[in-house]
Amino acid sequence: MNTQVNQKPLTERLEPYIAIIGPMVMILAILVFMGLVEPVRYFRTTNINLILLDAALYMPMAMAMTFVITQRGIDLSIGSIAALSGIMMAFLIKQYGFSVYIAVPIAIMLGAVMGLINGLIITRFKVPDLIGTLAMDLVYRGFALVLAKGLVLARFPDFLTDIGRGQIPGFVPIPVLIGIATMIGGYVLLTRSYFGRYTIAIGSNPEAAELTGISVNRHKVFAYVLMGAAAALAGVMLTGKLNAIQATSAPYFNLHVIAAVVVGGTSLFGGRASMIGSFAGVLLLSMMINALVTLRIEFFWQSVASGAVIVSSVALYTWMQKKDRDGAGGIMAALSSPDGQKMVRFSALLIGLLIVLLAIGGLTAGDAKPSG
Amino acid sequence: MTDTPLVQMRGITKRFGGVTALSDVDLEARAGEVLAIVGDNGAGKSTLIKVLTGVYQPTAGEMFLDGSKVSFSSHADAIELGIDAVYQTLALADHLTPAANMFLGNELTKSILGFPILDNKKMKSETERVLMERLGVQLKSLDAPTESLSGGQRQAVAIARAVYHEGLRVLVMDEPTAALGPQETARTLKLIKALKAQGLAVILISHSLDDVFEVSDRVHVQRRGKRVGVVKTADSTTQEVLGLIVGAEEVPA
Repeated sequence: MNTQVNQKPLTERLEPYIAIIGPMVMILAILVFMGLVEPVRYFRTTNINLILLDAALYMPMAMAMTFVITQRGIDLSIGSIAALSGIMMAFLIKQYGFSVYIAVPIAIMLGAVMGLINGLIITRFKVPDLIGTLAMDLVYRGFALVLAKGLVLARFPDFLTDIGRGQIPGFVPIPVLIGIATMIGGYVLLTRSYFGRYTIAIGSNPEAAELTGISVNRHKVFAYVLMGAAAALAGVMLTGKLNAIQATSAPYFNLHVIAAVVVGGTSLFGGRASMIGSFAGVLLLSMMINALVTLRIEFFWQSVASGAVIVSSVALYTWMQKKDRDGAGGIMAALSSPDGQKMVRFSALLIGLLIVLLAIGGLTAGDAKPSG
Repeated sequence: MTDTPLVQMRGITKRFGGVTALSDVDLEARAGEVLAIVGDNGAGKSTLIKVLTGVYQPTAGEMFLDGSKVSFSSHADAIELGIDAVYQTLALADHLTPAANMFLGNELTKSILGFPILDNKKMKSETERVLMERLGVQLKSLDAPTESLSGGQRQAVAIARAVYHEGLRVLVMDEPTAALGPQETARTLKLIKALKAQGLAVILISHSLDDVFEVSDRVHVQRRGKRVGVVKTADSTTQEVLGLIVGAEEVPA
């Protein structure tokens, strides 16, 4: 038995675990690096709490986005859904005197309805998901701006701040519990429910799913509704965390959540889902951003780091899933092939042109005229 | 093998707009036999089986199952009455396990607190049982995704999905060996023989006359939307069937 297992190449045996290995290796790398450079400040309880608080906000959305992406979809409107449902909830509480206990469920239902609109636009009007949700992102954000008119709504009842940043003494923050609960719920949904099973089938082979009698459109709509509700929950958590909400809140939700899911090994081409990977992906991004803050690196580098992590992890998955590496012969062989040569020359030409333009600009430059 | 056909199609005509895909076609298939349908591209083979499996509705003509008249408004109706098909593409979701594929759209569940929860364990053991008992196939691992299986094994999973339905009586197979190597082809033909021995009526569409002559009992030849002949495989030759396909020979049906 043992020998039979050992006959398979390492990559093949690792394959089922790729999803979780990738982010785990990177999390480990961050832990080791921070352990060497800034162990005292990074591993403080308060800092770990901060990391978890940040990650918790993205967990419900990453859970739902795993379903959307597994069905070969994408949702680029979640930031706006979070902001709009947060704003509407804030107005209900502040302007109309709604009880917070009813306003929170209303916000989540509003998010679900916005998700339903997304889903219907994609399945009934056949608008491609990328364009459909991008356009609806503008619509939802616009409504939020129309409603709030630049106001910041602040100071909410305790129940809401508990959801956003409450702390069980001696234990983890309440939002972390909410986030982990949604991830566990998502895992059960993915592996044990019709919806989860059909989600994978639809992403894996839409025609086959249709042939076996699965209602493809209905299950697509379900995924977007789940996504909308999760985004609204994140909006509620964000409102509670900041104890304030405005129309321009949550601008980076879309890419951050998609990045976490993709880094976690869920395939953008559909069919391959990993809920544990999404969880690890969320943790990884939050740990990385916190590490940059801890190292006192300028805030704007965060976007560079996030992008680099996404590109490298997706490239890694593609490489690991490529079965036939015979005769590839590494980077040098690829560069010396005829097509590689042409690419090298083309790249050299572009960079050369850029250098020439820079040189001309530098030689003809006059005195600096600072704008401010 | 009795002489009353299990399935009978009479005078089937199917038009798509101005194009006549099938004109006045008859077809009979008996329990415990393999009926091969051969013909050139565009001869109406696929349309014929799509009518049989309820995917298309005929413009004219009647169908009988076990002597009583039937008509299908959808593929689901046909499955209900025991007629199912395995498509050339197999219609498998490659990322799911064989068990998940076998029960796709028809999952087994257990109830926990009133909620239906997929019973993955039971589906796995049922898959193992059906593959072994009905098809004599044993997969190395039932936990690996279906994409890791060989062509023949994938075929077995697709067939197992069809035969799991206890009421299955007619199985249509569309080009089952088209994408397979010689060894996998031999295995698939063995599967077909096993199904025939279990008393199913197997309708096999194939371009490969070698395969047809190896497994079939009778050959139904289509040409330009018409049935140009049905021959007993044992009394015929590849030459004769080939002649019928290209229209060089005429045999009364």
